[in-house]
Amino acid sequence: MNINFSGVSKIFEPDIAALVDININIEQGEFVYVVGQTGSGKSTLLRLITRELLPSRGLVAVGGYDLRKMRKADIPYYRRDVGLVAQDFKLIPSLTVYENIAFVMEAMSVPRKIVAERTKDVINQVGLWRRRSMRPAQLSGGEQQRVAIARALANSPSLFIADEPTGNLDFHTAVDVMKILFGINQAGVTVVMSTHNQNIVNASRQRVIELDNGRLIRDEKGGTYSG
Amino acid sequence: MTTLKYILRDMWRLVVHHWVLGLLTLITAGVMLWILGVTTLFSLNLENLLSRLESELVVQAYLVKDNTLNVDAIAERIQGLEYVYSMKIFSPSDSLAKLQEKMGSQSRALEMLGDNPIPYNFEIHVHKAEDVEPLVSALKAMPEVEDVVYAGMVVRRISALSRISSRIALVMFILSVIITALVVYNTIHISLYSRREEIGIMYLVGATRSYIATPFVLEGTLLALFGAIIAAAGIIGAYFPGVSLLQANLPFLRTSLITEKSIIWRFCGLLAGFGATLGWVCSYLVVARFINSITRPE
Repeated sequence: MNINFSGVSKIFEPDIAALVDININIEQGEFVYVVGQTGSGKSTLLRLITRELLPSRGLVAVGGYDLRKMRKADIPYYRRDVGLVAQDFKLIPSLTVYENIAFVMEAMSVPRKIVAERTKDVINQVGLWRRRSMRPAQLSGGEQQRVAIARALANSPSLFIADEPTGNLDFHTAVDVMKILFGINQAGVTVVMSTHNQNIVNASRQRVIELDNGRLIRDEKGGTYSG
Repeated sequence: MTTLKYILRDMWRLVVHHWVLGLLTLITAGVMLWILGVTTLFSLNLENLLSRLESELVVQAYLVKDNTLNVDAIAERIQGLEYVYSMKIFSPSDSLAKLQEKMGSQSRALEMLGDNPIPYNFEIHVHKAEDVEPLVSALKAMPEVEDVVYAGMVVRRISALSRISSRIALVMFILSVIITALVVYNTIHISLYSRREEIGIMYLVGATRSYIATPFVLEGTLLALFGAIIAAAGIIGAYFPGVSLLQANLPFLRTSLITEKSIIWRFCGLLAGFGATLGWVCSYLVVARFINSITRPE
């Protein structure tokens, strides 16, 4: 799924400019790091892609569709094709690991047997099968992050959005998470990941989009990040 | 079918995970619906009592004593008046015989009057107490009618009581419905508010608004239905002993209160249906409004 930002600005009331005149084109199958300091506009950019936010100006198109023109009823169907991993995990606290992951397929009316097989499959991919009956509060930060990744994988999305997925993790756990993300990308899925961790960016040399105070200051293939 | 199973399971999860809030809704809805049921039954019984009193109200119209009068034509005109429910015609001889029977051993006094002094007369029953006054005016306006006899003060009091009781019953009914609706609405709103984060996440990961909303709406409907069933059980448990007690202490109420079990059972069935409908409407409104606000992009 390709992503196109054309002249995009996002201004929060009363006059906080989170993004200013952003022009980006991300092709299907790319792995892109969105980097910058805290408050530079990384999360706003990702939330525009998931349509949690609408641009104040400009066009955000994903897979050729102008997200502003998307009907309310079509939003859930669009989001089923976008795997989302948020910095704060966004897991449903009252559900177990298994139930959190199964939920995204149940909401699509996938038959129970297929849900069971697929859920087992993705939980095994992130190595949490033994923790499947636990609730998010009983897991460590790294484990919760992996549950969020497994949930995002469950629907086999075409686009994977990860907002600071390693932000709360120690180095070794962060490396494990990155391995999973590279695996997803190798299967042809577009991955857009925000981070301010220079070690992670510099270790893999992917495309780097750098923001500063809401402005795009660098868009470099095989780039690095010095913080 | 698969979706329905998931929705029912999710509804059950909501009930189990938030059982304290659910229990609170159940009890409050039950109490309010019980008050609503008792108020309605009280009004129905009062209505029944007043109807019975009204049906016993009689207006007696006496014609002028004139042998050339066409009594049948006059009877037809009176029968045509909109206030008349039923009417009986009494000839002078019938009336005299009735009077003699009423006077018993003192009926010989009537013989002293010579000719029968009683003219043709009509015993008229009305639909409602408030029909008596206009009927009397209409009868008095007829030249063939010499006199009209009726219990004026009683009629006015019953009529006023009937009007006041209908208004009080309506106000109490509306108040009970509003309070019950507000209680269910607010409890579902609290329940939703406590889960606003979950709802936001569900929408973010691809659940449709109807998939998210339906378990909440079902939960509200189910809680209000069970509340209504509890209220109905409470009404059945309290009504029949209450009626027996009243009839034992106030004998004039013996035939005026609703005592048929089938009517009360039907009433309780209606109350349960009403409770479920009220729960559904309130839950639907609050869920639609809440989900709309939480899923709106900034």
